[in-house]
Amino acid sequence: MIKIEISEGPIPFFLNDDSRQQDGAELIFNGRVRATEHGDSITALEYEQYEGMAEAELIQLAKDTCQKFPIHDLFCKHRIGKVDVGETSLHVVIWSKHRQEGIDAMSWFIIELKKRVPIWKWAILEDGSRIPSECSHD
Amino acid sequence: MKIKIKCFSQVKYAFGKDELKMELEAGTSTSELEKMIRAKAKGKLDDISLRVAVNQKYLPNEIELKDGDEVAFIPPVQGG
Repeated sequence: MIKIEISEGPIPFFLNDDSRQQDGAELIFNGRVRATEHGDSITALEYEQYEGMAEAELIQLAKDTCQKFPIHDLFCKHRIGKVDVGETSLHVVIWSKHRQEGIDAMSWFIIELKKRVPIWKWAILEDGSRIPSECSHD
Repeated sequence: MKIKIKCFSQVKYAFGKDELKMELEAGTSTSELEKMIRAKAKGKLDDISLRVAVNQKYLPNEIELKDGDEVAFIPPVQGG
C-alpha cells in the first residue's frame, strides 16, 4: 500500500503501528531544513510545487519503488510553502520483511524524488529576500 | 494557437511571473518554443537545463504543440 500527501503546514508524522506481524523492518526518514545554503545563512526554505503533476509523479514513484523492491508499504508526506530551519520538509516510512530491502528502497526513492518530482526550493535569506535555491541533486 | 506556459523556480525568477500566455503558429514544436523562451529570458536561463512537460507529463521527445496545451520548462527539481 502507498500513501502520498503534499501539503502546507507542519507535517504530522504517521502514527506508530504495533499491529504489523510480517514487517521486521520499519525505516523512517525525515528531511529537515539546514541553516545554510552554499555557505549562506538562511532562515527558511520555501517549497514550490507544480500542482497536480508533483503529486502524480510522487504517486508513480512510490508505485515504481514498490515494484522494484520487495517492500510492503511506503508512506510519504512532502511539505510545501515556508519551512523554517530545523523543521521537517519530507517524511517517509517504509515497511519491509528484512532491513536491507527497506534501506535500499528508501535510498532509491529519495534519489529518484530529487530527479523526478517537480518541487523546488526558494531560499529565504536573513535580510528577508527570496531567491531560487541553487541546491540540486542531478 | 494559444499556449499557456507555467513558470517555476529559475524560470519564474527570470520572468517574474507564474504564467506566460503565448500565441504561436500552428505546428510549433516544444524545442522551438524552448528556444523562444530562452531568447525571451535574455540570458537568464542560459546555464540552466530544462525538461519539458506538456499537460503535466514529461516528454521524452519533442512534439508539435496543440491549441490550449499547458507547457512547463522544468528546471532541475529540488524536492526533499
